[in-house]
Amino acid sequence: MLERINFKINGKQVTVEVESWEKLLDILRDKLKLTGAKRGCDDGSCGACIVLVNGNAVKSCLFPASKLEGAEILTIEGLSKDFIINPIQKALIDSGAVQCGFCTPGIIMELKALFDKNKDAKEEELYSSLEKHLCRCTGYETIIEGAKLAQKYLKENKEKGG
Amino acid sequence: MSDLKYVGTYVERPDAVNKVTGKAIFLDDIQLPNMLYAEILTPPIAHAKIKSIDTSEAERSEGVIKIVTGANCNITYGDCVRDRYPMAKDKVRYIGDPVAAVIATSRYYASQAAKKIKVEYERLPVYLDALDSMKVDAVLIHEKNGEYWHLPSYQPVPKTNIAMRYFLKKGAGEDAFKDADVIAEGEFVYPFGSSAAIEPHGTIAWFHEDGTIEIWSSSICPFIIQEDLAKTYGKPVSDVRVHIPEIGGCFGYKSDVTIEETVAYIASFVPGRPVKWVATREEDFTSTLIAHGARIRMKIGAKKDGKFTAIKSTVFHSVGAYADTGVNVTQAATHTVGPYEFPNAYLEGLSVYTNTPPVGAYRGYGYQYPHFALERLINILARKLNMSELELREKNYLSEGKVTALGEKIWISHGDVKKCADNVKNAIFSHDKPKEDEEFYYGRGFAAIVKGPKGTPNSAKGCYMKLNIDGSVSVNMGGAEVGQGLRSVVRQVAAEALKISPEKVRVYTEIDTQFSPWEWQTIGSMFTVQGGRAIVRASEQLIMQLKKNASYALKCDVEMLEYEGEYIYLRADPGIRVSVKELARGYMTESGVTVGDVVQTTSAERLPRYSNPDLKTGQGNMGVNYTFGAQGCEIRISKKTGEIFIDHFASSFDIGQVINPVQLRGQIVGGVVMGIGSTFFEQLKFNEVGKITNPHFSTYRFPTIRDIPQKQTVDFVETPDAVGPFGARGIGEHPVLGVASSILNAIYDAIGVDFFELPVTSEKIKEALDRRKTKEANNA
Repeated sequence: MLERINFKINGKQVTVEVESWEKLLDILRDKLKLTGAKRGCDDGSCGACIVLVNGNAVKSCLFPASKLEGAEILTIEGLSKDFIINPIQKALIDSGAVQCGFCTPGIIMELKALFDKNKDAKEEELYSSLEKHLCRCTGYETIIEGAKLAQKYLKENKEKGG
Repeated sequence: MSDLKYVGTYVERPDAVNKVTGKAIFLDDIQLPNMLYAEILTPPIAHAKIKSIDTSEAERSEGVIKIVTGANCNITYGDCVRDRYPMAKDKVRYIGDPVAAVIATSRYYASQAAKKIKVEYERLPVYLDALDSMKVDAVLIHEKNGEYWHLPSYQPVPKTNIAMRYFLKKGAGEDAFKDADVIAEGEFVYPFGSSAAIEPHGTIAWFHEDGTIEIWSSSICPFIIQEDLAKTYGKPVSDVRVHIPEIGGCFGYKSDVTIEETVAYIASFVPGRPVKWVATREEDFTSTLIAHGARIRMKIGAKKDGKFTAIKSTVFHSVGAYADTGVNVTQAATHTVGPYEFPNAYLEGLSVYTNTPPVGAYRGYGYQYPHFALERLINILARKLNMSELELREKNYLSEGKVTALGEKIWISHGDVKKCADNVKNAIFSHDKPKEDEEFYYGRGFAAIVKGPKGTPNSAKGCYMKLNIDGSVSVNMGGAEVGQGLRSVVRQVAAEALKISPEKVRVYTEIDTQFSPWEWQTIGSMFTVQGGRAIVRASEQLIMQLKKNASYALKCDVEMLEYEGEYIYLRADPGIRVSVKELARGYMTESGVTVGDVVQTTSAERLPRYSNPDLKTGQGNMGVNYTFGAQGCEIRISKKTGEIFIDHFASSFDIGQVINPVQLRGQIVGGVVMGIGSTFFEQLKFNEVGKITNPHFSTYRFPTIRDIPQKQTVDFVETPDAVGPFGARGIGEHPVLGVASSILNAIYDAIGVDFFELPVTSEKIKEALDRRKTKEANNA
């Protein structure tokens, strides 16, 4: 059964027809052609599909599309503007946390949700957020360093009034 | 080497921004016009005859375009052993064997229809371990074993489930054990696992009406896919075009042909329309390649003074339902005896068919099994000799002039394992270990490693280099970027060789067999060595072309000229010069008449004198290029739970020449954590009908951020290599090789219990601790 759902994505209002079985990730990738969120597993265990729904990091592969009415969604495609990348993106590059890049968008969106709420998140909070994300390349060392570097960049940006 | 400008420093990855913005295009991100989707039906039991297939109901299902079965399929394929079929014909041999496929207008419709296909099976016995399928009364998994085409260096044993037997003898072989004063032996198990990259496998196949075939695949072997499909469909190789988009991790299992022949077979039924198949996570475990499945019986002997006399090992390798991708792994697992000289060796390897998914490459390519066994046995032997584990190793390390089991003489340019060992010794063993306390036991362990590439002797990597009109350079190669940072290596090596800034080097992104130079496949930690040397060669040719063009401009012989990046100048008078920009398209004289070459070059590199094994001795030049290293750890074991904490893990490798220190550390730290996964958690489990019971990330557990060592020390020795660019060597696979054995050695150091089988879970440790307690209580 098709249902028409209205929501805001990356600042733009959209109306999408969704099937009852469809998840947010299906809508993003197949209907809106936003392929930055990745499908790495079948059971919500890898974190590669995480996007922001109303400011919260959610696993889009589990989130029913029918519940999107009125929601505000931010995906990796909405994070940077033209040639200016977000400080979190910059920090992950600078720390060497980008290898194959498949888990990267999910991790960036996770950190975005965390730092929007609390730029000063403590190490344990970083671990609690990042433990939802599987990465097979890095051994996580550079990811945790990148998260801390992102906090530094975000604060510097604020000081600069950015 | 200190005059290097761009090699040895951090340069940002050329693909970094595309990856952090989510704009990097992976296989499943590709949408083509009029694309269809395939769902592949697999059997509920791993070994059975197909009695009948009824597709009638599925054909009426919504959105279905075509149902495909293997009924009329006569295609076989395989590059080592031609024992593979794109779709099962009369029999299934593992739980992921394709039985039928649905092509539909959406993924959802395809999967709904596939559920409506009815198949009748006749069950056959299911073998999950080589020891079972080797029994004399075992049913043959392949009745045609022995009849299949295979490479001449493999010897199948017909009328058995042994797909390949390989043996190697060095010196007196087994007889030499009579001269040994002490012997250590054991049986070691490295269970089935998965490379488990976060991106699952996927392929798009498109049979065009003009007879050409176009493929996109998450694979690292576009040229093998191209050649295989050309053979299968009777086309010129040039009529098959293979694209490789970004790859979301490989770690081995995206090498060799895996799913491409099956997806192509399916797509061949709907010419004119592209068909996409992307594995679900479950299918990525069940329907692609898995890893390991190795049982190894090893025995080593030494004189009283610690000098090794002989080694014997038998590798029982469960290679799964098809041996094509496993036989080479078995060979590597057999001929490897670590970074030591054994004057005598008798090594036997058996690739044995089992009803599990086919086993293929996994970071380390079989080298991890003998390393695991040997590094444990050396510690056991050291205890018998009452000698320190480090001292015993030092007496036996390979070094210049010593000879490997393969019969290869070690060159000074192969590197220095002793220096690596000293670095790890310094990091881990130079201070006292903490004393046992209320909560924890403490232990330390060590392992030394070596690995060379395993591949075809004609394996090479090509390079096309083009100088643009503004002095920038485009480099095009066939090497697959899977995350390891190959593009940065290309940029840095080219910049160094051409004496231009890295920003002026544009590195290729997609691989496309229509435009890319030939490369066998990106495996064996060989891109830096072979690819890097190819870049240096192409650069040298490019500089030579520039000089030739400059000789017209400056009216002198080529020998009089020097190159410095921006200009070619007269050696005797640098003021007389011409810029490379004026030479890129040849040199245009005042009248417009143009002379000289358009500056673009091509090159390739293979390893010198790499060979197949000799059929009688099993020996041969099957390494040629080696990276030595050592690893060690300090661990803590919880007395209450048996949980192991790695407080410190140290790795040192003789890398020849550091190219990008950040990426290098990333490879090693990541590899160590992957090795920790194999040590503590990773194991594919099967039920009695051969179904994988944990084909999800929630049940196939591998390390999260909570499982990493508290601290990792990584350092390098730089003994220049003879082949690699500026002396650099490969490193991709090596960091996993000493992890399990060094941790298990540390476990013994902590609690006095020897483990021989992976994974060592905290439950197993807890059981061992409880057993020890009971024993102590009984003795008291």
